Parts: sequence; structure tokens; C-alpha cells
Amino acid sequence: MNEVPYSLPQNIIEAAQRGLGKLNRYADPGELKRLRGLLAEYSGVPDRHILLSQGSDLLLRELICPFSKGRNVVTVSPSFFPTVEAVKQFATERLSIRLSPPMFDLSLELLMDMLEVPTLLILDNPNNPTGKMLLERRMVEAIAEHGKVLLVVDEAYYEFSKTTFADMVADYPRLAVIRTMDKAFGLAGARVGYAIVGEAFLNVFSSFYSLLSRPSLYAAIEALKHPEYMKENVRRTIAERERLRRALHDLGSCVYPSSANFLLIKSEIPDVVRRLGELGVLVSDISSQLPLGFARVSIGTRGENDTFIVQYREACRTCD
Amino acid sequence: MTDRPPTPLETLRQARDIGREEGLRYIYIGNVPEEEGGQDTVCPGCDRVLIHRHGFGGITNYVQEDHCPDCGTSIAGVGMNERARRSKQQENRPLLQDPPERRGRDVMEKEIGLIVNPVAGMGGSVGLKGTDEDMHKKARELGARPVTPKSTKEFLEHIERKDGIKLLVAPGVMGEQYVRALDIPFVVIGEIGKETSAEDTRRIARRMVESGAELLVFVGGDGTARDVYDAIGSRIPVVAVPAGVKIFSSVFAVTARAAAEMVDAFVEGIGFKEEEVLDIDEEAFREDRLASRLYGYLVVPEVRRFLQPGKEASSVSRSSVESKEEIAAHVVEEMDPETLYLLGPGTTLKTIADKMGLAKTLLGVDAVHAGELRGRDLNEKGILILLGKYEKRKVVVTPIGGNGFIFGRGSKPFTPEVIKKIGRKNIIVVGTRDKVSRLDCLRVDTGDIGVDEMLSGYLKVTVGYREGLMVKVRC
Repeated sequence: MNEVPYSLPQNIIEAAQRGLGKLNRYADPGELKRLRGLLAEYSGVPDRHILLSQGSDLLLRELICPFSKGRNVVTVSPSFFPTVEAVKQFATERLSIRLSPPMFDLSLELLMDMLEVPTLLILDNPNNPTGKMLLERRMVEAIAEHGKVLLVVDEAYYEFSKTTFADMVADYPRLAVIRTMDKAFGLAGARVGYAIVGEAFLNVFSSFYSLLSRPSLYAAIEALKHPEYMKENVRRTIAERERLRRALHDLGSCVYPSSANFLLIKSEIPDVVRRLGELGVLVSDISSQLPLGFARVSIGTRGENDTFIVQYREACRTCD
Repeated sequence: MTDRPPTPLETLRQARDIGREEGLRYIYIGNVPEEEGGQDTVCPGCDRVLIHRHGFGGITNYVQEDHCPDCGTSIAGVGMNERARRSKQQENRPLLQDPPERRGRDVMEKEIGLIVNPVAGMGGSVGLKGTDEDMHKKARELGARPVTPKSTKEFLEHIERKDGIKLLVAPGVMGEQYVRALDIPFVVIGEIGKETSAEDTRRIARRMVESGAELLVFVGGDGTARDVYDAIGSRIPVVAVPAGVKIFSSVFAVTARAAAEMVDAFVEGIGFKEEEVLDIDEEAFREDRLASRLYGYLVVPEVRRFLQPGKEASSVSRSSVESKEEIAAHVVEEMDPETLYLLGPGTTLKTIADKMGLAKTLLGVDAVHAGELRGRDLNEKGILILLGKYEKRKVVVTPIGGNGFIFGRGSKPFTPEVIKKIGRKNIIVVGTRDKVSRLDCLRVDTGDIGVDEMLSGYLKVTVGYREGLMVKVRC
């Protein structure tokens, strides 16, 4: 599930514990406002552009539900599974663009051709499960200037990719960026998601008010006040990701470059997901979205990654 | 009628009970989940299950000599004693190999045929790309070792429901030698000479169906699949264990182990789906050209695997039948009465015709206009004549599973000339999401570079109701 494997600093755990003592009360509006302020500062935008929710997947649903009415919904395939699900559930006209191996790149030319009708376009950047960056700034400008398009960019892995379009929402009212504290901040169990949205979305969401649980709220505030540990999480994860990439490459597996905290591999081992599962290593089965042989591997701790390499070698050996 | 809720099970049961009270002796409930019960025909005398129904169309018949095996009540119905006669014949066969302690167990065991192609896959290690016809002799001269033993053993080893099956095996190297050491009851079917051939596979497959096999397992490659298809078509479902050089037909399980899982699922009783058998021209393949044609369909047990609970197992997952229905609904809704539609080969296209109430050929190109069939199993000439008659015309095709060909050299009727006349924008591609997701891209190889180039770029594939996927075409 692409969580960060490292445990949280003590101050964040204590903050969450303070929340536990007040579980009989809803979160305080003043404290929610404080979190929005910290997220606005972190994202480099004014407070009013920030929406809060319990997890970025819920925010995506909240956006897809109202904005798919009367619009074509365009996504890529493969993509973040809850997005695929929500689109299937809410949208009536669905179109996705197949990202083809080995490059998995998105053709701007094709995309622009498809945007001639009112469209809600949802792109994960970097893409999950390929780890590929699909968008660059000039592409976002081209799309966001298009009068008929609402563009939602899922930046769940922003801290790893270090690329964001959040600062563009003030200039592009039809742009929304979705983020989460589940990943780099290591708060997957707290479920704090947020969106940085342009004016066109704000109008619909003016009454949108999501309460967080008190432990989640306090943990998130504490994490944003002292984000050094997050940077360390990111640094270690990227170092491990690159080490694992080289090791898998040396074992003859095809490994794709990644801008996230996971790797996409194409393995020659038949039924690789199950074989690894039997050896006690769980990797993500994405066979419903990509050809056989592809698997997504989350980056763990150094020890976990070592185990993975050993078991992968074992799986290679036993399949001959 | 999708706006109405399903009829409650209770109502169905009531209806059955009323029927029974009024004197209907063999009434049962259909189209409800198996675990809900009531789908079986029971003996009017003692309530013993006489015909057990499982999945879509799976049937186990316990009637013996027109009578209930328990209380002896006479059971009416055509062919009710067929199975009993069959079992009797088998008991008289000298080759019956039931271990003594297993004899006399009830007939709940599923009878499963097993045929191993001993020369499949031998070309791989010596770079021959296939062993059709006499190539396996050349392979052996080059020092190739058979690969089927490993696949066969691995398959048999991983069957968990060994208690629920009885094997009908081909003799010697074609099956028997692998099951001798196992604790599975088996019967040997047919005879073979020193050298085995494709004819052996075909003859024995037919014999197995006649002998009452409910499922046929074969170990081999695309060539073996074609032989099995020729022999038995879709008379009984199959499980295909891969052991070939390069396997393209989607009828094959991913691995020998996955094939074993399909057998287990079959024993438990599940649904079925059709999968492709491809005709790969090995001659062309040796020249690094991939020329494939849809040869036919075999029926396989449909195992739905949910490895990651919660996330991937969800409403998006549908059976292949449901997906095809959804695609057909979309295509039929979008059809224009003034346009001539040329429907290519495949079950997805057949589902579209079925939806319109038309009897389409499964492997041929048929023409439809204003809701009527205007031509069946057309060749290039037939298509060109029709193209001359209609101003607006479209082609509907589905990619071949695994390699993604929409127009290959094998799809004869859609020649470069036909495709040129139709034009790129009048090509409708359809395919289930499952199948299309497993492709790297769509492929064309029409034999005319100009046409291939005209087709390259992105094409929209209809994968569901109002749902499209833009996929790149490579040539």
C-alpha cells in the first residue's frame, strides 16, 4: 500500500495521544483552521484554497461525484485504483488513455484532441502504479487554459517527486491538486488528505466542511510544525528505492524509473505475485490494469528490502 | 426490467412448493446462487438429490437405470440411464485402476480427461519456435529435452481436490505414466503407437468425451489446443496447461499451478467462459513474423482471483460475459440504421449480433444493415461487393488476446483494399477491459505498409457501456 515503513517521532505520537483524551468532542473549528493554515503555508497558497478530508481518495470521490455530471471523464490506465472505481461509479461518459510500456508516457497531442467537449480530467502525477511523471508545467498550462476542462492532479507522492502544480491554482481557476499526509509524512493510519483548488471548484465546495478525528488533527498539526522527519523519510526511501532498483535490474528483472516510493517491475517469473506471496513477500497485483508479469513493489526499510531481494532471487531460481 | 428488484428466494421456493403440491414431480429453482439450494432435482420418493446443478450448466446426474439409486423410485426422462450405462461399461474395462480402498465410493467424483502432448515445447531450447508436424524430430536431433514432464508433474502435484476427481488418461507418455504413482483413481483411454501424433490427441480427446469426461485437461502448446478444438469444440470445458515454445492462445492457464487451481474450482462448481485458440503460423514465426488468426474457442472454468482483498476486488471486476453484454449494449445503441456494419470474428462480436437477434458466424465476417444480416462468413470479394452497395459503412473488430492484433495477415477477409475503402475513422474496436488491459498495444500487420501506417496512432477501444480506452496502434 506504499506506506512509509519508518515509525513516527515521539512528539507526533504524543500529539495524537492528546487527541485521544478528547474523543468525546468533535474537532475544534479553530484547530481545523490552524491545520488549513499550516497546509496553505506548506503548499504556498492562501488558506481559502485548501480543502480537508479524511484521506485523498475520499476527496477524489467528492470531486468526481459532482463534476462528472454533464462531462466526459478522462483518466489514464493504469491509474490509482480508487480513482478508477469512483469514475466507474459516478461518471456516465468514461474515456481513459492507455499508458503503454515501456515509456508509459502521455501524449499531449492526443489529450488535447480529446478535450473538445466539457471534460473532467484526472491525472495522477507521478502515476500509480508506473511511478512515471505524466505532466510538466507547460502541459498543465495548455490544459488548464482550455475553457472546457477541469483538471484534477493527484499529487499523493509529491514529496518524493518534488514536482507540484499547487502554486498554479491562483492563476488557473479550473485546476485542483490533491495531496495526502498518508505517504511521506507517514500518517497513513491518520487519514489526512487535502486539496488545493482553484476558484471553479471553490464555488461548489464553499459549504464543504470535513471534520477530522482529534488524534489525526493533532498529529497532522504537529507533523507540519516539525517536518524534518518527513524529509528524512523521503531521503531514506529514495536511497532505498534506487538501491532496490539496481539490485532487481541485476537479477534480470525489468525495472522502470520511479518518482514515487514504489517501483514497477516486469518480471520473467511466471505468476510472480503469487510466487513471492508464497515466499512471504507481498507485492501489489496489478494484473487487472497491465499485461501479465507486471507488479508494483513498495519500498520498505533496508532490512525489508534485503529480504525482498533474497526472496526474489529464490523465486528466480525455483522457476527455471 | 433492471429497475425491478430480483424476485425474492422465498417467492421462488413458494412457487416450487405449490408446483410440488399440484403434482409436478421434478420441479427445481433456476438462476439463483448455488449456495441458496433448491437448484437440484430431487427424488419424488425420498428427496434424495438426483440431478445436482452447479455453476452455469454444470450437471451431475445420479439416476441409475431410470431409478433413484437410494429408494428405487422410477424416474422419468430421456437419457436418464445413459450415465449409468457408461459407468457400467467402465467397470467392465480391464484397465480400471481404482485403488481398492477407493472402490465403491459414491459417484460424486468428477471425471476428468488428461492428455499430454509429449513433444510440445521441445523446439524452445534449440531455437526452433514450435514443433508442428515433423519439427519435433529435428528438435530431438538437436538435443532438445521434452518440457512437458515438468509441467505435467507440477500440474498434478498442485491439485488440492484429488479426492474429488477420477482421471481418464491417455496411455503411456501421453498421460498414464504421470498418474501411476499418484493416489488418484484413473482409467486409461485409447491406444498409441511408439511415435505419437496430433491424430492421437484428436482421437483420444473424442473418446474421452464419449466415455463421460466432464472436463478435459491437456498439456501442450497452441498446436495441441487446435487439435483439442478440432476434436471436441465446446462439448465439454477444458483446462490448458502451458508447455509450449511460445504460447499465444488465451485458453492457456498462466502456469501449471494456475491450471491446477482451475481444476479445483471446477470440482467445487463454478462458471465458465470462452477463451481463444489461435492459429499461429509457425513457419512465419520462425521468420520472426507473427501471423495469427483466431482459430476457435474452447470453454474454460472461470476462476476469479482476488489476491488483494479490498482494494482490487471490487465492483469493477466483472465476468467476461457481463463485460461483453455491456459492450454489446453500447455498440447496438450507437448503431445507425443507414450504415452497413461488418462484424469481425470473435465472441465479443457474436454477443453484439446476439443482442440484435441475429445469428452470426463465430469466426467469420458477417454484414449487418438496418437490423438485418446482409451476408455471412464473407470473403474479400463478398465484402467488396457489399461496400459497393452502401455509402456508409463501418467495421467492428476485437483484438486477439495476448498479442493485440486487430488486422493481422491471418484475418483474410479484411485485406488492405477493404481497410482502405472503409477508412480509419470507420473502424470500431471493442474488447473486454480485462483483455485490453493485458495488451501492450494494438497491432496491425496487413501486409501493406501504407495501410499499416494509416492505422497507426491511437484508436478508441470500447471496453464497456459508454466507456472507452485510447490505445496506441503499432505496426
